[in-house]
Amino acid sequence: MRSNPCDYEMVAPGNLQATVALLAREPGVWLPIAGGTDVMVLYAAGNLPARKLVSIWNLPELRRIETTEDEILIGAGCTYTDLRQHEVVVREFPLLAIAARWTGGIANQNRGTIGGNIVNASPAADSLPALLVYETDLILVSVRGERRLPYVTFHTGYKKTLLAPDELIQTICLPRRFSQFVSHARKVAARNAQAISKVCIAALGRVADDVVGDVRIALGSIAPIPLRLRETEQAITGRPIDSALLLLARKTAIAEVRPIDDIRSTARYRATVAGNLIVEFLNRLQSATGAKGESKNTLQRWNYLPIDEATKEILPCCGSKAWAERMAARRPLADEAALFAASNETWRSLPRSDWMEAFQSHPRIGESRPSQPPTAESQSVRSVAWSTQEQRDVTDAKAAVKKALADANREYERRFNRVFIVCATGKSAAEILEILLRRLKNDAETELHEAAEQQRQITEIRLRKWLQG
Amino acid sequence: MTNSRESHAKIEISFTVNGEPKKVRAYPMERLLDVLRVDLGLTGAKEGCGEGECGSCSVLMDGALVNSCLIPVLQAEGTTVVTIEGLAAKNELHVLQKAFLECGGAQCGICTPGMILAAFHLLDGKPEPTIEEIQEGLSGNLCRCTGYTQIVEAVSEAVRRRTLA
Amino acid sequence: MNADPIVGKSVPRKEGRDKVTGRSQYVDDMVLPNMLFGATVRSQIPRGRIRKITFGPGIPWDEFVIVSAKDIPGKNCISLIGDDQPCLASEFVNHPEEPILLLAHPDRHLLPQAVKAVSIDYEALPSIFTIEGSERRSEIVWGEDNIFKTYLIEKGNLEDVWEKADYIVEGEYSTGAQEQLYIENNGMIAAFDAARGLTVWGSLQCPYYIHKALMALCNLPPEKVRVVQMETGGAFGGKEEYPSMIAAHAALLAIKAGRPVKIIYDRLEDMAATTKRHPSRTRHRTAVDCEGKILGGEIDLTIDGGAYLTLSPVVLSRGAIHAGGPYYWPNVRIRAKAVATNAPPHGAFRGFGAPQSLFAMERHMDRIARTVGLSPVEIRRRNFLQLGQATTTDQVIREPINLGNLLDRALDVSEYHAKKKRFAKQNQVGTSRKGVGIAAFLHGAGFTGSGERYLSSVVGVEGCSDGTVRVLVSSTEFGQGTNTVLSQIAAEALSLPYEYVSVAQPDTLEVPNSGPTVASRTAMVVGKLVQSAALGITQTLISSNLLHEGYSANEFRAACQQYVVTHGQFRCWSRYEAPSDIFWDDDKYRGEAYAAFAWAVYIAEVTVDLTTYRVSVDDFVALQEVGKVLHPLLARGQIIGGIAQGIGFSLYEKVVWQNGRMQNGQMTNYIMPTSSDLPPIRVFFEELGNIHGAYGAKGIGELPMDGPAPAIVNAVEDALGVPFDSIPLLPEDIMDGLAASLEENGKVSTVGER
Repeated sequence: MRSNPCDYEMVAPGNLQATVALLAREPGVWLPIAGGTDVMVLYAAGNLPARKLVSIWNLPELRRIETTEDEILIGAGCTYTDLRQHEVVVREFPLLAIAARWTGGIANQNRGTIGGNIVNASPAADSLPALLVYETDLILVSVRGERRLPYVTFHTGYKKTLLAPDELIQTICLPRRFSQFVSHARKVAARNAQAISKVCIAALGRVADDVVGDVRIALGSIAPIPLRLRETEQAITGRPIDSALLLLARKTAIAEVRPIDDIRSTARYRATVAGNLIVEFLNRLQSATGAKGESKNTLQRWNYLPIDEATKEILPCCGSKAWAERMAARRPLADEAALFAASNETWRSLPRSDWMEAFQSHPRIGESRPSQPPTAESQSVRSVAWSTQEQRDVTDAKAAVKKALADANREYERRFNRVFIVCATGKSAAEILEILLRRLKNDAETELHEAAEQQRQITEIRLRKWLQG
Repeated sequence: MTNSRESHAKIEISFTVNGEPKKVRAYPMERLLDVLRVDLGLTGAKEGCGEGECGSCSVLMDGALVNSCLIPVLQAEGTTVVTIEGLAAKNELHVLQKAFLECGGAQCGICTPGMILAAFHLLDGKPEPTIEEIQEGLSGNLCRCTGYTQIVEAVSEAVRRRTLA
Repeated sequence: MNADPIVGKSVPRKEGRDKVTGRSQYVDDMVLPNMLFGATVRSQIPRGRIRKITFGPGIPWDEFVIVSAKDIPGKNCISLIGDDQPCLASEFVNHPEEPILLLAHPDRHLLPQAVKAVSIDYEALPSIFTIEGSERRSEIVWGEDNIFKTYLIEKGNLEDVWEKADYIVEGEYSTGAQEQLYIENNGMIAAFDAARGLTVWGSLQCPYYIHKALMALCNLPPEKVRVVQMETGGAFGGKEEYPSMIAAHAALLAIKAGRPVKIIYDRLEDMAATTKRHPSRTRHRTAVDCEGKILGGEIDLTIDGGAYLTLSPVVLSRGAIHAGGPYYWPNVRIRAKAVATNAPPHGAFRGFGAPQSLFAMERHMDRIARTVGLSPVEIRRRNFLQLGQATTTDQVIREPINLGNLLDRALDVSEYHAKKKRFAKQNQVGTSRKGVGIAAFLHGAGFTGSGERYLSSVVGVEGCSDGTVRVLVSSTEFGQGTNTVLSQIAAEALSLPYEYVSVAQPDTLEVPNSGPTVASRTAMVVGKLVQSAALGITQTLISSNLLHEGYSANEFRAACQQYVVTHGQFRCWSRYEAPSDIFWDDDKYRGEAYAAFAWAVYIAEVTVDLTTYRVSVDDFVALQEVGKVLHPLLARGQIIGGIAQGIGFSLYEKVVWQNGRMQNGQMTNYIMPTSSDLPPIRVFFEELGNIHGAYGAKGIGELPMDGPAPAIVNAVEDALGVPFDSIPLLPEDIMDGLAASLEENGKVSTVGER
């Protein structure tokens, strides 16, 4: 630790009004410190010029998130963890949620703030490209009142911003009109966690009438400030996504970025990878909006859907909303093996209430409609159709076996208070009856795990069918 | 020898540490890490890097995992802090501590306090995490000895024991 | 007798409970009354003469204790192999960060500013930063010719091989510096009083190395110097020789101040100033016949030792001896040299020369394979050493190791052939390429040749007054399991429960010199001495009629307690005796280099992402023959940990140098893998036993460091069809390599021009 604590003064007024008043009294003297994940690193290295600090950590006026119909208003004092945990951020602003997940490790996410990230103005900051493509406005506050400006104007040069010496960022405002866009984000760094980016991309796009419609691309670590690639956006808008466009996009992007050599990487690498990232984005855009019938691309296409659609589409494979949401949140999944691994892991780690929801979505074995009213989403045309297919052998069985099954089912429901779950595919009614009779003797805990395992198998079979289109 | 450089005043900080109320006199910009280690004698939190990268200084502050080397003690006023010394209840080790012992999660031990607290924090929010989620939850805690495998296994084992309990 | 063997079982780590509860005492956790803090003023230039030292304004200098070279009571050097490294520079400096002055003050926070306030005026001299620069000798920076040490290993006759060869394969391979990056930085506390002498407590591997160095520096007799090891937070060789330097500094301040002094480095200082792995360059020229068999060859190994001798001769030795890999060389000439540059001296790091020369050998085998038209599997199979054949130093393999079978098992477990097939298909489309790579290697455990005889290690086992047993060794615990394994061995030898045995804290006042904790020798060599010293305890009790054969644990306790009551202190000693069948010729550098080799085949599966050029390791199989697995959990932990460091060595850890100074000395910029970066590492053991090791064990601590880099870089070449011969291999290098290869083949590159 290369600084002497006794050389520093720090106050914590505790509210916004007193804080801006202090900043106005002595502009440029008091350095605001929120979570400290930037300031304290400089301090420990003996490189902090400021000697007076004002703590704005946890100011109630700055650490809140509000939503209106048109906007989400994120207080500048919100931490990355706050962002990751907010439903609207995760659902409608995935690029920001992803960037928050990239920033440092969990401990730094619990302290670092979005306002701090903006004011620190490192061109390598993970969140800033996302803010650029979401057409963010900032509300700045001082004793003179509030002023609102487009974030895209905020950075004027390397570590230079429009923030006046007596101002704070109060709110980050994002318009709620990006849910229908395909979103793409990627961070390229030296390792998978806790790394400053070498290049990162945040992009939104739509395809309309087979040509690139509305598209926004921003990159970090390739210029003195985070950069919207306006020229590249313009070059590709209104054109079909073909190999000529990919070449043009790459070339324009490489020319548009202004990277440097530094301790982490080279200008050449950054430029080349920037070009590659643009091409990757365009390929994703094409897959995500391609025809639904292409079986090979089911997984690829699903990977890049807006999160609500992805959740809805995969839900019939399992019947548990939590499972579907978690699966959708784990995208992109690299291949089928990853899909199955994710499904199994997700299923196994669900709380029991979610297992129950999945069980409820099934009809009683031998019947075609669910025995209990399933939750609205879990029952769908698809899941009913699949249930029917799976139980085909059972519904054709002889009357005697059918009756025995019905009796045993009722016994099961009386004992365990839920419908009997078995992976019926490839099993005869007699075989299922045998299984049911055996499992009736299980204790509650064992039976729950058996049922869960059956559901897991059912899910796998349904996933395979879904992949085949 | 006296310290002749009293440029600014020390202040009094009150906070709760491992369930006990504490009062310290410190400069506001003293690091929470140093106050814990020097003023309170709680040396479980370690300094590995001084820049919030290695996580060996991790503690819990108001339930959140934080790097104590990056926290000015003024900001700890009124908070509840838990260090590794506060994890075991009386003489009974926490299930995570037991699992670390049995699964080879600790070798040289210097990252272990922070690592266990990071795992504790993870399980607090996600009682049954996947392997990937465990890796992510620990990604801010560097370990040079183990290559992480037996640490992840220890956390998985702790999860298994808690769900059986 | 133990019906349930303790050796071979995963018993609880001896000091584990303290580690998981935060109770372990590392050096910075200890506070002594009246203690001062110390700091070091270091050279800011790589080479020059000190003209003037000025103490700047704004610092209460009269409150400081200041030590310079003039204050050194004895010899101004850190005594190790040679005596060329000063403890404090007096007139000349030879590397950035070279220590010049020491400062101490009661207020820890004043020191960084005080260090900054010392300004030093130099007359700069020309300096050298590369192996090639040193070889050119435009400037002599050490000795007569910049050469610390050379070795020549010759076997057979190279005269005809070149004509007889169907292929002559050449290659040059290089490895960069690597920082040990123990999570606990170097630290020491020293205290001195005229009556008791000097005591140091610290983070260290080798108490007696420090003991020897302090005697010479402070002009004190052995009984007036005491070195105590605190709990040590990782070491990996980085605390083998360097602690002698920081101990010397703390000692000098403590002597002058008359008060205890604590010096703890911060990360920036530790990275910039302390030792790193020796950078290396290896050149191969090999004569191969049409069936891919090696007829003979020349291997030229050069390592960069930095500014002073330190341990470079020993690193060079191990590198040279391992340079031929696990292969049969009918004829070979290995020329090895360590050269001086103006970087901070390089030093011990797990593997100690072998990771460098084995990287070259295993990359070269793939090159030979490609040249001859054989697979990497086949080329190795045809050249593996067999029982009865001799190594490059003429050591005859006497154990029934079958490397072909080891290879087969590794191929099987890793599904190597299936993957090769699958990847060949997959690689035709898409934006990533997958590959698999093999590394086959060996690692000699214990000191080289006559080294163990020279060390003449001594071990003690003590029967305590409460009837339990204490092991007395200078071998230190720093995570690898010394306390646990030596306790297991003693307990097994004594037929006692594991809980009856403890290991004394390494304190030169209490424990004998069992040699340094290095060279993967602790379990194997020291363990064997623990075994015999323990048996000495039993024999003593039995021959005193206090105990009979087939005793129970309780009977032992009673007998031991009784013996102590009657005779007082009860200790048995065991001293190393070189096996009679191990011969080593130090002049010709020939003979039995090591008492035992461990053998391994590692297989890496990688994906290279063509968007980012990043390499991810997706699966890693590590199969090794280790004599005996004494503690399965610890052994597995050692292998996985070593592989993680090897992955860092190959793909992540780059030291950025500028004028001999490390520029990226923070954890933000010196990149080691996080928990999100490492693949599942699958570890498998085979056990052939070892007559020279405790319970058949061979050393395993360093073995896993040798395999990952070549396996991974071989896999990258398999994936991309482009060879890379230098590590660390960063995405930037892969991008440039791909672009160069495309241009060579007349294809248009999509790599942007800047």
